[in-house]
Amino acid sequence: MRMNLFWRSIILILFLAFMIIPVIATLIFSISTRWDRTLLPEGLTLEWWGKVTTRGAFRLTLRNSFFISLATALALGVLVTPAAYWAHFRNPKSKVIFEIMSALSFGIPGVILALSLIRFYSGIPLPLINTPNILLFACMELSFPFMYRPVANALDSIDVRTLTEASQSLGGSWFQTLLRVILPNITPGVLSGFLLVFSTVFAEFTLTNLLVGARFKTFPIYLVEFTRFDGRQASALAVISFVVAWVVSLLIIWITGRRALPAGGRVAGR
Amino acid sequence: MVTKSINSLELRTNQKWFIWIPLIPLIIFSIGFQIIPVVSLISSSLTGKQGITLVNYQRAFTPFILDAFRNSIQLSITTASLGVVLGTIVAFAIISSSKKFVQDALIALADVTTNFGGAPLAFAFIVTLGSTGIITLVLKSIGIFLYPNFRIYSITGLALAYLYFQLPLMIMLILPSLLGLKKEWWEAAINLGANNFKYWRYVALPILVPSLLSSFFILFANSFGAYATAWTLTGPDVNIVTVQIASLIRGEVQLEIGLADALAVVSLCIVLLCVGGYLWLAGRARRSRV
Repeated sequence: MRMNLFWRSIILILFLAFMIIPVIATLIFSISTRWDRTLLPEGLTLEWWGKVTTRGAFRLTLRNSFFISLATALALGVLVTPAAYWAHFRNPKSKVIFEIMSALSFGIPGVILALSLIRFYSGIPLPLINTPNILLFACMELSFPFMYRPVANALDSIDVRTLTEASQSLGGSWFQTLLRVILPNITPGVLSGFLLVFSTVFAEFTLTNLLVGARFKTFPIYLVEFTRFDGRQASALAVISFVVAWVVSLLIIWITGRRALPAGGRVAGR
Repeated sequence: MVTKSINSLELRTNQKWFIWIPLIPLIIFSIGFQIIPVVSLISSSLTGKQGITLVNYQRAFTPFILDAFRNSIQLSITTASLGVVLGTIVAFAIISSSKKFVQDALIALADVTTNFGGAPLAFAFIVTLGSTGIITLVLKSIGIFLYPNFRIYSITGLALAYLYFQLPLMIMLILPSLLGLKKEWWEAAINLGANNFKYWRYVALPILVPSLLSSFFILFANSFGAYATAWTLTGPDVNIVTVQIASLIRGEVQLEIGLADALAVVSLCIVLLCVGGYLWLAGRARRSRV
């Protein structure tokens, strides 16, 4: 059965309005001279964008965020992809480890992960606590399922055993097979995992705030600081965050040809 | 060199233990950054001056902290139930649409916005529904005064902001199940004399129940663990569990270590129970679909 046109239109229009108005409002707010007394902005200006993007801290935090997101995505790619291939090829039982890790990653809230890492690693003489290193590992923990899911889906969709056996019968080693045979076949999965991790970490606030604080300022930290004292410049930063999230998500949709990713695992920097 | 050593190992793949070797880095990562930290948190919460004790738990739950738990649970139940109900309705409206491009565009929108949250979202809601926000101004111009009865910086405002990520998440979670409802079932029900209400009540809903319930658990956990949105929107004004734990970590509130850990462990149990419930129900839903 279908919903009739009248109700369908009303529901979809309300849904669209709820999802889009906050984003549009933030965008217009960021280019308005003043918009807190009148129905329409009193004038348009690029002043706030100019001001906020020319600060040194803007470039620094953007670079930090870019760096930690890239590092997390690369590190997770290296940690997960060979292991997932192995699990699919030789050790299907071990898939349960990946599932447990994914469930824990979703099930341990950011604040609790931060607290437990501080508790445990502050008593251990490793260069972790209070350095960006611990943030890297925490971000890897947080975004583990975002890398594993797409890679596992991609591995499920190809015949891992036949490809591997063909490669090995031609003299290819396990490592060569992974690099030259399997990887090219699961590129969309690895790529969308990479992008998902990237955008998740790019938006990450909780772990950064609690684990490294002011020592390693990222873009979301910078944004929150601005919301406290200059709304218009903050709105420009918020628009940038939205654009990054939209672009990355659209890229993923484009790469995987629409929704290869099950929802449920996808919860970013709440 | 590497290639060679892997080749020689390859020969021994018949031995059972060997198949676990390539997974060692992953297992070490999980033990080091998931299991040991959480176990040490639990053991520290159970440790008092005289060894193992529950005293931390007794002392941690002051009326103020109990209030935080009540607020967090209420917020999570509210946004999860609203998310489940509204998300299902919107998802159904989406798949009822006859135009393929409308469907694709709306699903893409839900897909993209599932990933939103945190600081930018909270700020967008301040711009939209703050005391001088655009919707506030529009409503004022037609004679509806949101303020001072409603405040975006309150727990109600927070619920509204949470709905912004709960709704699309629910849509993505329930779409596969809704698409699994076959047209023939509806036709059969109608032919047997049912009306649309009876079809939903006796055919569609019973089929959807496991998916709806499991999605509820996911949405609950999603909301209970959320921190960045709440912190940006309401700061320390709204008393919820994650905000309290965070302020303990930052040392804004002085509290013995064991007490903070007890709070964290109780919250962790709540969220993990939800995730467990989700996995169990989702497994059942998947099996019944096959």
